[in-house]
Amino acid sequence: MTVSLEINSITAHYGTTKVLENLSLLVKAGELVSLLGASGCGKTTTLRLVAGFLTPTSGTIALGGKDLTRLPAYRRDIGLVFQNYALFPHLSVRDNVAFGLKQRGIAGVERSMKADDMLARVGLSALGARFPSELSGGQKQRVALARALVIEPPLLMFDEPLSNLDAKLRVDMRVEIRQLQRANGTTSVYVTHDQEEAFSISDRVAIMHQGRIMQFDTPEELYQRPANAFVARFVGFENLIPMKVVARKGEVATAQAPGGVTLDFPQRRFGAVPDDFVLATRADGLAVSADPASAGIPCRLGLRTYLGRAYQYQCETEAGHLIANGSLAEPLASGSAARLVPVPEQCCVLKPE
Amino acid sequence: MKNWTCWALAAPATIAVVVFLVIPVASTILTTFGDPKGVFAPYIAFYNSGFRRTVLYRTLEIALITTAISLVLGFLAAWIVANAPGRIKSILIIAAVFPLLTGVVIRSFAWMIILGKNGILNSFLLWTGAITEPLSMLYTEGAVIVAMVYLFTPLMILTLVGVLEGIPQDLVQASMSLGAGPAATFRQVIFPLAVPGLIVGAVLVFTGSFTSYATPQILGGEQQMMMGTFLYQRAMVTFDWVGASTIPAVMIVGTFAVVLVMSRIAQRLNPMAVS
Amino acid sequence: MSGRIHPALVVFGAIVFIFLVAPLFIIVGASVSDTPYLAFPPRGLTLQWFWNIFAIEAFRSTAITSLQLAVLGTSLSLIIGIPAAYALNRYRVELPKWLSTVYVLPILVPEIVFGFSLMKSVSVGLGTPIFLSLLIGHALLVLPYSVRVVSASLASFDFSVEEAAISLGCPPLKTFFTVLLPNIRSGVIAAFILAFITSVNDVSISVFLTGPGISTLPIQILAYMQQFFDPTIASVSVLLMIVTVAVMGVVEATLGLTFLAK
Repeated sequence: MTVSLEINSITAHYGTTKVLENLSLLVKAGELVSLLGASGCGKTTTLRLVAGFLTPTSGTIALGGKDLTRLPAYRRDIGLVFQNYALFPHLSVRDNVAFGLKQRGIAGVERSMKADDMLARVGLSALGARFPSELSGGQKQRVALARALVIEPPLLMFDEPLSNLDAKLRVDMRVEIRQLQRANGTTSVYVTHDQEEAFSISDRVAIMHQGRIMQFDTPEELYQRPANAFVARFVGFENLIPMKVVARKGEVATAQAPGGVTLDFPQRRFGAVPDDFVLATRADGLAVSADPASAGIPCRLGLRTYLGRAYQYQCETEAGHLIANGSLAEPLASGSAARLVPVPEQCCVLKPE
Repeated sequence: MKNWTCWALAAPATIAVVVFLVIPVASTILTTFGDPKGVFAPYIAFYNSGFRRTVLYRTLEIALITTAISLVLGFLAAWIVANAPGRIKSILIIAAVFPLLTGVVIRSFAWMIILGKNGILNSFLLWTGAITEPLSMLYTEGAVIVAMVYLFTPLMILTLVGVLEGIPQDLVQASMSLGAGPAATFRQVIFPLAVPGLIVGAVLVFTGSFTSYATPQILGGEQQMMMGTFLYQRAMVTFDWVGASTIPAVMIVGTFAVVLVMSRIAQRLNPMAVS
Repeated sequence: MSGRIHPALVVFGAIVFIFLVAPLFIIVGASVSDTPYLAFPPRGLTLQWFWNIFAIEAFRSTAITSLQLAVLGTSLSLIIGIPAAYALNRYRVELPKWLSTVYVLPILVPEIVFGFSLMKSVSVGLGTPIFLSLLIGHALLVLPYSVRVVSASLASFDFSVEEAAISLGCPPLKTFFTVLLPNIRSGVIAAFILAFITSVNDVSISVFLTGPGISTLPIQILAYMQQFFDPTIASVSVLLMIVTVAVMGVVEATLGLTFLAK
């Protein structure tokens, strides 16, 4: 059974501080949506609101059309996976997993069977009789997962479930989580501050900042076509250069960067460009060229660092401090003059804010 | 070089404890075994004496009842403190802690005023007409128990508040998210995790009340002699030191045994317990 | 935890807390009653019972003795206790685990057992003067506070601060006084206060160690109670309570009371 989650114009306060304002989000049935952002952005608050540990000041939350807003947490039938696992230390692994089934009145024998079944699905079949204190971090997280899945909830929510695991385990576990979610088809909300994690497993991602959703889109869209400067910076567009169109000829718009240099922006390569815009580029989006005749922003090169696949230069330009990558074939010396040529595939045109 | 330093720092306190505590107490216990009538003679004599047996049983009984009542009252109060909102919580903690800081004499004495012939309780009962003559409540087992409960409940509260607040909030949330309401969460998650702390608190109150001196002295007097007052009487009034020494020995062995057994149980009951 | 509390619980809880606090108010009330016997509510108000305390020689001298014991005993226990706490935390690996239990023995061993044994072995056995025996007893009685409370402070102390100081040229002993002590100041103050209050109020140890001419205030109150049963006892108690409140005020002002809950 897959249902949609509808968050409608939620406003929430901690005491007198407003932490969420008119937040709306629609998670489609069967989707895995990530709430991504730095600490304090409101992602955990949103999760706690949906779970029922926090009451909104206004707005509604509906799961599969059923209004949850006034329902206490223990009646919402949502599977939660916590950051610190929240395994009951006084219960065995099996009893932990069976806990939700016990609350639903399922008899002992059937409970144990289902619990063991689910433990097998997460790869922990032999550990039913152990206690949480005897498990490793990864094993604990799997028990937490099993415990949430076994009750077959219409909605799963993950609160930074992998942040306490080491890097390699994090990558392996996120794949497993996604596979399990796909197999079940359960609608899921995943809270994290790790961009790579969110992008790798989600159907759509909501990037949050200061209690607002800055953009809610597929990872591909977010990565290639950020909607605003915040999201652009978030997904790695290090350089934001304000530009002003000074001439248009056919499909080519000529725009002027701070400092006076003009660059051509053919529509077929950069898309349509408004009169005032911000050119957002990744470090890869500005190619460093020693040729003074190349069509690029003049700069003076500063510190050069080695990235393995390229050299990265800190550049001082009239448009400010920019970061650009140059090829390994021609390392350029600090202090020398160069030009930064925009590479359309790594650039994005934003409206000024 | 480093080995030398750490022992030099720890030595004075260690030596003080060994010389002035361990050795004297050990010698007290050992003298009980030196009786020419036999190694366990003083203990046998103790147990054979009807009076001393009564004292022992009375002390045990009072200690157990005190512990039971303190557990209930203490848990109740600690639950409220743990769940109280900020400002009220501070006030409640002060209310619970302050009695601990006044002396045992003051806290026991208060009950003399309350339970005496001219005391508050009698005055109240007379005034309501429930009784026609003042009740003699002092120097009864009940008086000692009430005063002991008064003495030890704050200790129990403090211990249990620590325990309850040590239960991670996300366990409660997990339990709720899995469908357990407040009552079910209390029964299946909170209480089991609080049990080790309850045991610790119970041990503290039991050993404290079992070895108490001032409260039985003030409220029990000679009629309700307990191990503590008995020891004093033997030692300082009749100067029967060997006979008196059996009491400390029984106390030490008793309290150590209780502490050890209870720590083991507490540790086994909950993998999360830090004792 | 901040859950919701059932209304019935609130009522029971209120009763418990009133139970805890009321008797102390009763003593305060009885201390100002203008009656030769203890009465509450007080009939008539007078401060004569407070003046009586100072009039009675026994109370005056034992109050001074109690204060002396508290200050000296606590100081002594801190002098040996702080290095011990430091060693326990800094050299956790090199020192045996049971060592921290040693410093807690005065709490594990019943007080009357300790007092009795001390009297037998030291006062009588070694013939030590009464005040000295009392001092030893008190200092050891409060040692666990000195060690444990300071230890708690040290547990969150980052010892690499010491190493930084030493690497910058500060000799070890000077580092102890200028770098370590200021940072555990709150622990030392809390320990001092808890120890002081414990010493002032002690009965179970002092009762075995007092002798002709030297006694402590609580013991003196006990003795007075055997003979006279007037509100002086209440007023002395109030005086002791005022001292405790004053001391707690200092704690709250410098540290905040939740420190005591540890």
